[in-house]
Amino acid sequence: MRERNIMLLHYATGLGILVFGAVHVFVVFFTYPLQGTIWETTLKFDNIPFAILPVYRNAILAASLWGLLLCTTIHSMNGLRVIFLELLGERAAMRVVSRVLYLVGAIIMIYGTRTIIVANMIT
Amino acid sequence: MQKVVFRVKRYIPERGPKSYYEEFEVPFRRGMTVLDGLIYIKENLENTLSIRYSCRMAICGSCGMRINGIEMLACNTQVAELGVPIITVEPMRNFPLLKDLVVNMDEMFIKQRRLKTWLVRRDTEEQDNPTSQYLQSDEELVRYLQFSYCIQCGLCYSACPVVATFPKFYGPQPLMKSYRYIADSRDEGGRERLGLVDTSEGVWRCHFAGSCSKVCPKGVDPALAIQLLRRRVLTS
Repeated sequence: MRERNIMLLHYATGLGILVFGAVHVFVVFFTYPLQGTIWETTLKFDNIPFAILPVYRNAILAASLWGLLLCTTIHSMNGLRVIFLELLGERAAMRVVSRVLYLVGAIIMIYGTRTIIVANMIT
Repeated sequence: MQKVVFRVKRYIPERGPKSYYEEFEVPFRRGMTVLDGLIYIKENLENTLSIRYSCRMAICGSCGMRINGIEMLACNTQVAELGVPIITVEPMRNFPLLKDLVVNMDEMFIKQRRLKTWLVRRDTEEQDNPTSQYLQSDEELVRYLQFSYCIQCGLCYSACPVVATFPKFYGPQPLMKSYRYIADSRDEGGRERLGLVDTSEGVWRCHFAGSCSKVCPKGVDPALAIQLLRRRVLTS
């Protein structure tokens, strides 16, 4: 992928983080705490491998959470790539770093997507 | 102020790999520049001091150095305007040091050449033997005019924090120069140049610290050129 396409994706996902992040903040701080059970149901993370705010058990909000996950993953992995590129500079080392970051990004996406899907299946 | 102290960073490769500071007392006179002080030191106090200078009027760009920690031209900086009794003079950063205040600027010029910073025409034969002038309107001239004021002194390159951490980065001066020709209506090598700057060492590595534009003695804004270059890369 050309550098300009990577950076365009970086800017687009940055904007995506702003939009989906705003939805997330709105959902967490302006809607759910009013019901008073947020801590008990989700944020304790006690032996819950797929802890997620129950309010996201809604297709549209779940999609926005997945959008936030996607944008954050791409943006952060590319941010790390740039940091490593400037620290290492060597093309051979960068090929390894890029592959590792692709792998880490894929793991985050798979686990995050699974969590959102599983949480949505709970009734 | 009767006298001013010049604290000069010295590096003499024959005496070992370490740099050290040496202080010289120089008589102050009104209108005296830092370069005048350094020439006084070389002529009267320490003739082994190495400095590079030529025009003494901020045109040639030879006497770039760090004066009290900031990149400046020594000929363009008056001692009085600094307003301190001790002036610390150091060589530019991001360049290999040759001796005292003299650095090797080859790397910057090699990067410039790599980006084809000259007027490129498809018909090279006609360019070598032009039959008429390449006319340009005022509007077309304004698009690149400020960037053509660059005197290649290397101060922006020295001040760039990205070049300091990532030496493969082209740096502000070569990228600005590249934009200067891309924005020139007479040039026909823009597409090729955009391909050259759209790399991991190119235009995207600028973090927009802005120090290049701050230190330019000719008022050129390389940070702006890099942003304009990015726009060109994205829209090309």
